[in-house]
Amino acid sequence: MSESFRGSVGRKVVSRASAQELGGINHLVVDGRGRHVASVVVGRGKKARFVDWAQVSGFGPDAVMVTDETSLRVPADDRERAAAEGKLELVGKRALSELGNELGLLDDVTFDANSGALEELVIDDRRILASSLLSTGSYAAVFDKSQEP
Amino acid sequence: MKLLMTASQIRGLPVVTVDGGEDIAEIRDVIYSPEAGRLVGMTLNQRGFLSGRRREVLPADMIHAVGQHAVMVSDETQLVPPEDAPDDVAHPATERNVLGDDVLTEGGTSLGAVVDLVLLVGGKGEVVGYQIKRADGGRGYIPLPAQLAVSGDALVVPDVTEEFVQDDLVGLGAAVDDFRDRLGLT
Repeated sequence: MSESFRGSVGRKVVSRASAQELGGINHLVVDGRGRHVASVVVGRGKKARFVDWAQVSGFGPDAVMVTDETSLRVPADDRERAAAEGKLELVGKRALSELGNELGLLDDVTFDANSGALEELVIDDRRILASSLLSTGSYAAVFDKSQEP
Repeated sequence: MKLLMTASQIRGLPVVTVDGGEDIAEIRDVIYSPEAGRLVGMTLNQRGFLSGRRREVLPADMIHAVGQHAVMVSDETQLVPPEDAPDDVAHPATERNVLGDDVLTEGGTSLGAVVDLVLLVGGKGEVVGYQIKRADGGRGYIPLPAQLAVSGDALVVPDVTEEFVQDDLVGLGAAVDDFRDRLGLT
């Protein structure tokens, strides 16, 4: 089942152990190479809490089920502290080719709701396979040169 | 057809890592070797408004690609302190600057004075032409052979260069390969 970054914003995050709603999705963060959802961010700024993808037991259409309350944790490193401020948010991010030319802005990202693997990145009217993504950072998402116009 | 840009368009571009997507510096200036016909490196500023010079430099060998919107490096370790950089990058010889030099053909015709360098977009700093100011004050672009006779005052180009003077970068992009074919360089 395919999900999108844009479509999942605001979806409620629920503890499977207590059935308590723990908050809503602020955005999703991908790993450094940008091939996989690394964590779900609930809240923003100082209140941002991270749920590792391994703690997500079901990424459903109506709710994201996580193990329990302890699945929410504070940012663990510099990359996550940057993510808490929204600096690694992929939607709206500048897309650069490895040759240093801009490809546009990222409109959306789709991923497999079971595995968390990224599928496609949408730039304007183009859909680019996630295998072309080389990295994601605070400045840009970098794509390999096969994506040059 | 080649996509081209001028060296002055490179100044101020961010330096971005391919492995991290981070902007780690920005280009302060380019260092050019007229004899080699290529950049030997770039000096750097800190990233951000009103931020100062960075001590590290970017030797040309460390460049992944020079694009229209960013200079790409594989990772942050490609920026090196001057003491670890090649001498012509760490201590560029100012008298070898070609800007202002008169472009003379072998037959003795002046085509104009050099005002900027023209580079290949997506390359690693190859300089394929010069922007010149012509005698009538207008701007033009000339393609370059890979090697040039050059002094501090003038540079000498083959006579055929005169036929290849272009009015814009697009024209030069189309002319570079033809020019080098004519010189038997490709």
